[in-house]
Amino acid sequence: MKIRDKLLLAFGFYIFLAVVLSFFAYKEMQAITTRITIVEAANDINNKFLDVRRYEKNFLLFRDKDSLQELKKNLEAFKENFDEIGAEIVREMGFDNYRMIKGAIDEYEYLADRINERGSIDKMRSRARDIQLFAENLSKKERENINALLVRSKVLLLFAMFIILTAGGVINMKLAVSIARPIRDLEEITKRVAGGDLSGRIEVRGRDELSSLGVSFNQMQDRLQDTMKSLELAIKRLHEKQEQLVEAEKLASLGRIAAGVAHEINNPLAIVNEKAGLMQDIIEMSGDFQNKERFLSLIHGIAGSVNRCRVITHRLLGFARKMDITVETMDLNESIKEVKGFLEKEFLLKSIRLELNLMDGLPKINSDKGQLEQVFLNIMKNAIDAVEGGGLIVISTAAKDENTVQVSIRDSGPGIPKDKLKQIFEPFFTTKGREKGTGLGLFVSYGIMKKLDGGIIVESEVNKGTTFIVEIPVRFRV
Amino acid sequence: MNKTKVLVVDDGVEFASTLAERLQLRGYDATAVYCAEDTFAAVKSEPPDVILLDLKMPGMSGIEILMTVRTFAPDIYVILLTGHMDIEKEIEGIRLDNFDYIMKPVDIKELTVKIDKAAEKRKLGRE
Ligand SMILES: Nc1ncnc2c1ncn2[C@@H]1O[C@H](COP(=O)(O)OP(=O)(O)OP(=O)(O)O)[C@@H](O)[C@H]1O
Ligand SMILES: [Mg+2]
Repeated sequence: MKIRDKLLLAFGFYIFLAVVLSFFAYKEMQAITTRITIVEAANDINNKFLDVRRYEKNFLLFRDKDSLQELKKNLEAFKENFDEIGAEIVREMGFDNYRMIKGAIDEYEYLADRINERGSIDKMRSRARDIQLFAENLSKKERENINALLVRSKVLLLFAMFIILTAGGVINMKLAVSIARPIRDLEEITKRVAGGDLSGRIEVRGRDELSSLGVSFNQMQDRLQDTMKSLELAIKRLHEKQEQLVEAEKLASLGRIAAGVAHEINNPLAIVNEKAGLMQDIIEMSGDFQNKERFLSLIHGIAGSVNRCRVITHRLLGFARKMDITVETMDLNESIKEVKGFLEKEFLLKSIRLELNLMDGLPKINSDKGQLEQVFLNIMKNAIDAVEGGGLIVISTAAKDENTVQVSIRDSGPGIPKDKLKQIFEPFFTTKGREKGTGLGLFVSYGIMKKLDGGIIVESEVNKGTTFIVEIPVRFRV
Repeated sequence: MNKTKVLVVDDGVEFASTLAERLQLRGYDATAVYCAEDTFAAVKSEPPDVILLDLKMPGMSGIEILMTVRTFAPDIYVILLTGHMDIEKEIEGIRLDNFDYIMKPVDIKELTVKIDKAAEKRKLGRE
């Protein structure tokens, strides 16, 4: 119900109550007025008859004509009054009494006409006493009646007041609650919104303007909450993207620096290599001399170190220079098999179980086959290094969505601790010791995947294993 | 006279001369030159069986020298010396026969294998 209708209804109810009460009050007043006339009439009768008695007494004292005249005149008036309220008297005192007293009055009149006859006076006086008693009784009864009526009116009035107070109170309360409560709710929830809490909803009751306001308000809250959520999500994504970009930029600059250094080192390294080589040649060709073996072993040491440097510089330079991408249509599953074939010996040597879950009907992709295989090789080599003998490596291919395919390489190795996860892509980060690892495999792979518009994701749990997921766009676009 | 004739071309004197000497010790007729002009002169006067050519040279790049040499000694065998593997791009558009490459620092055994292979090919071509 609308607020206007509620107010109108309450107002209408009050008017109705007022009309009903006025009606009853009017009726009550009418009854009281009627009663008052009757009481007055009864009083009149009483007084009139008292006058009659006064003249009766005068006549007895003076025996004069005037007194008798007056007596008769007053008696006439009394009779008239008596007849006037005859019906009321019948109702009040009963018909028998009425008839009896009527008879008494007639007899009194009859005797008054024959007042000089013997014994009349005594009879008259006895009748007069009856009549007087009757009139007094009537008057008394009427007074009692009116008193009862007044009491009833008072009670009715109090009762009406009580009804009005309670009914009005209840209605006002309901009205106030139905209007004020939604407003209070709204106020409370709006305060919470101002404080940043969007979870509050208004409890919608009924169908008035305030509840439709509540419905709209709730819808607004829903909208706001949705918007906030997507905003938060967007910001979170932005942060992630930014972090990725920073990370990628860091790796790229590291790559440039590393490549620059590698380039500068490479030429002197080549010279060291040749000089040491020549020394070795000469010594080997010379006849025996003191410390010959010693020199040879020293040169051997130099050659070993040069070799290690060469591996590093070649990898770095290869990575930095491989800016150019040769795109061809290729079958990813075939590539995986090729790389696997390349590592067959090492799988056998460590008796590693290898599982291939290559997806049938994987879309052919356009990408740089050679570089992708380089990436798979690096990651598979790491997996082989990670698992103990008898461990498990699972290689799967799948279509992530219509634009992306992915290769995942999972191993049952020791996993990578959380704090190391970020570092594994950095150049020269290795846990394999200076002799075994250069720490460039993942760095190079990461760089390649960046160039190919793809990416590498690592999921690792210590003591459970590691999964590298390589994401590759189906169609490489320059 | 069936010593294989090798011409080492590199602007790094230390590198080129030492490499040439090592090759000589291994029975090759190796000479080192350090610039483009000397290279052309040497090829013209006494054409070698194999040229070891540094890819990065000041002034004229290894590729340019290679192309020029090919104009007057078309079937000469060239082994490029490079700092990195990714030379496919740079040799694009060049006749790829009679061509090989090896990365610096050079493993001498690997190099001699390549030189011998080249010399073999050249001999076969002559016959
Ligand atoms: N599958 C894996 N399980 C556990 N640790 C791994 C795994 N793959 C990589 N790592 C960690 O990341 C480090 C860096 O790997 P990356 O391939 O870049 O270098 P490397 O393997 O140490 O050396 P390189 O590949 O140059 O021989 C490794 O040393 C190893 O600690
Ligand atoms: Mg590795």
